[in-house]
Amino acid sequence: MIRIATLSLLLIGSALAQVRHEDIAQGAGQNWLTYAGTYSGWRYSPLNQINAENTRNVVPKWVYHVPGARGLQSSPIVYQGVLYVTAPNSVYALDGRSGRLIWRYADPRAKSQGPNRGAAIWGDKIYFTTTDNYLVALNRHTGALIFNKQYADVAKGTTSTSAPVIAKGKVIVGSSGGDSGMRGFLMALSADTGEELWKTYTIPAKGEKGSETWGDLIDWGGGATWLSGTYDPALNTLYWTTGNPWPDYNGSVRPGDNLYSCSLLALDLDTGKMKWYFQFTPHDTHDWDAQSWPVLVDTEIAGKPRKIVLHANRNGFFYALDRVTGEFLRATQLIDKVTWAKGIDAKGRPMELPNIEPNAEGNWICPSVKGATNWMGQSYNPGTGLLYVLTLEQCGMFYRSAQQPQPMKNFSGGGATEEGGQVILRALDPKTGKRAWEYPMTGLGRMWTGTVSTAGGVIFSGDDDGNLLALNAKNGKHLWHFNVGEMLTASPITYSIDGKQYVAIASASAVFAFGLFEPAVPIEQPVIEIKKK
Amino acid sequence: MDTMRVLALVLFAIPLLAQHGRYLSDSKNAAIGDPQAIAAGTKLFMGSCAGCHGPDGGGGARGPNLVRRSLWHPLSDDAIFSVIRNGVADMPPTKLSDEQTWSLVAFIHALTGPASTNPVPGDPTAGKAIYWGAKAGCSNCHAVRGQGGSMGPDLSNIGGSRPLAVIREAIVEPAKDLYYLGNEAATVELKNGQTLQGVAKNRSNYSLQLIDTKGTLHLIEMRNVKKLTVSDTTPMPTDFAKRLSRAELRDLLAYLAQQDVRSKESAQ
Ligand code: HEC
Ligand code: HEC
Repeated sequence: MIRIATLSLLLIGSALAQVRHEDIAQGAGQNWLTYAGTYSGWRYSPLNQINAENTRNVVPKWVYHVPGARGLQSSPIVYQGVLYVTAPNSVYALDGRSGRLIWRYADPRAKSQGPNRGAAIWGDKIYFTTTDNYLVALNRHTGALIFNKQYADVAKGTTSTSAPVIAKGKVIVGSSGGDSGMRGFLMALSADTGEELWKTYTIPAKGEKGSETWGDLIDWGGGATWLSGTYDPALNTLYWTTGNPWPDYNGSVRPGDNLYSCSLLALDLDTGKMKWYFQFTPHDTHDWDAQSWPVLVDTEIAGKPRKIVLHANRNGFFYALDRVTGEFLRATQLIDKVTWAKGIDAKGRPMELPNIEPNAEGNWICPSVKGATNWMGQSYNPGTGLLYVLTLEQCGMFYRSAQQPQPMKNFSGGGATEEGGQVILRALDPKTGKRAWEYPMTGLGRMWTGTVSTAGGVIFSGDDDGNLLALNAKNGKHLWHFNVGEMLTASPITYSIDGKQYVAIASASAVFAFGLFEPAVPIEQPVIEIKKK
Repeated sequence: MDTMRVLALVLFAIPLLAQHGRYLSDSKNAAIGDPQAIAAGTKLFMGSCAGCHGPDGGGGARGPNLVRRSLWHPLSDDAIFSVIRNGVADMPPTKLSDEQTWSLVAFIHALTGPASTNPVPGDPTAGKAIYWGAKAGCSNCHAVRGQGGSMGPDLSNIGGSRPLAVIREAIVEPAKDLYYLGNEAATVELKNGQTLQGVAKNRSNYSLQLIDTKGTLHLIEMRNVKKLTVSDTTPMPTDFAKRLSRAELRDLLAYLAQQDVRSKESAQ
């Protein structure tokens, strides 16, 4: 009798455990409840069990090989000790202490291909999108399907790759496919039913304000929203970046600034209405999508406290904007070698140098098509007051094709190649935009691993040689590394269960979890009785 | 550990595997899913293939069970076509026309492809009532689109992921090795005095992942377990072949065949 009473109490306790807006808004801790750990895009955790002194004792705890996976880009969500990791068109729920599979959901019949960057959680449900634009909601305990809802059509050139962001019961989903011609948008869907709540296009329709910055190809203008964005609950504002205008390398067929491509958009969460926009690269012809993190920080600029949004851009510059008004505050050089603009003017517009367009013979420009940074997670650490950004010093050739542009035919108006290159993890000061320190890395110059940093004063990141590494967040000094034996293409996270801190990262084909060394304790087997039916 | 349990653990991975690959590369040949072509294929199969593979493809002395084989060796329609045309190992090549060969492919697809992509006899509306009704009680343990219990696997995509023959076996002969999915009915007595009851989704000597009778997940370390009681067979009732009439079973299968996360009609 007594036993039954405790049992039901326990059950009520866990049945009530629902992920609410406040839980996500609180930021990371034991759990990791949204793609970037916090709505503000910090990839920061207050966990400090693993710290700069004891990181040398970090050892692998478990590995889960995701069947058939290649080039995983997923950043796990963690809730109550369970990791939710995505691979294209599938989700895996793993026991965070042992790496054992709890359930798996797979939808192998999706009509498109491409990576997936992660899941989202709300209430009792796990959410992800299929490559062909279905929002899928699953029971977090069992993986059972609650609902799925198609919100966009692959036949219109749109696919999906990014992790949804959920705020106040709205699931925000983006659009991919901008390199082949499509019309980018951002959508809010109901977390309860998947119904569309609003949809905001990133490229105006013909005749709308901003359409004068395009030619005839505006219907296929691109401006994809293929990376999750950030959110300021106090301002109720979403910050989302947009991708390149289409065709990528041939700008002659789309005269003008091509709004709102390569921009940062500030949208009202409730209505999707644009509060302001800022275009980093007007009339881009180098495929420098604005996809990298809009990181929300409150700091002093020129002695005045300000709510700002930081943006390390693919075009080679590091921006600070007022996130209430969108006012341009400052831009500094993110990488050493930038050959297409001599700087950013007082209004925030690049001061372009002559002869920077892609052409038939190839034009050598820095940064390369990959950009000075890219979608991999950056980290802002309130303890050090520094932003950690993976950067790439690399130049490349840009070609332009004279062919007539054809949407949805994998045509991008030209091409690009890149050569050599060096990845450097840089610590930037949000107050000044200047570098505090940098950590150069070896490898092929691919740059696909993000960062996480903690109150323990440690940054975890990865290099192009497949090493997960830990640096001292204050000074960038090496603390620890571990070779996972294959390419890293995702960002690490950290979580804790049963009072133990873990660091997890997806490598190309597996999920690795690390923690502090503990001597093994022999486990005595319990009595196991096998009952005949 | 008895043999069945060992088999069951080994086979745990199979349904996962079987969901891969097959549907991505399927051909667009008009014969696939066409009742007339399937009927023609059935006739041809009886004449040229049943001698080795058995009348229902269930296997014979000289050829394997094709349903069972498709679980671990899923083939695209084009690959089945070339197996029939060219033969494989001890299976001889054929000299059938393209049309005849495609009708055989359509038959094999109907036998081994997802139930939702094939014509299925029965009345799905009547089947729905059986599924949700008290006599069968399926919904006590299985969910479809968020409604129902959680002791058994979610059936929201059962028609989209399993051949009809497999769904049928899972219902009428659930304890048969092939279709035993590895869910163990489990009672866990913890050292702290608590007792949990449910289904073990996965367990090792070191940890146990349990869904309790309310559908709540528990991550349990074996070091904290005093006693674990598991059943030697599947938690799925084993008497449905007796409990349900032939017509009821047929209608129930027609309803389950419709459950496909990629078809709008399957929304219940
Ligand atoms: C003489 C006996 C025999 C006959 C007749 C025969 N098969 Fe087979 N079939 C086999 C054997 C044996 C295998 C397994 C071959 C192996 O182990 O790779 C097989 C395999 C197959 C496979 C699976 C192939 C794979 O790689 O998974 C299919 C499908 C198949 N047969 C279809 C047919 C069809 C359709 C016919 C009639 C046209 C037919 N078979 C006639 C013996 C036969
Ligand atoms: C007492 C709970 C219970 C009831 C009642 C029950 N099932 Fe099951 N069922 C299970 C469990 C548990 C499994 C997994 C079996 C295993 O792992 O061996 C299962 C497996 C299945 C499967 C195989 C699932 C797959 O993914 O291949 C099907 C199909 C199925 N059940 C259908 C039904 C239908 C139809 C009914 C009603 C006629 C029913 N079940 C009633 C517990 C139940």
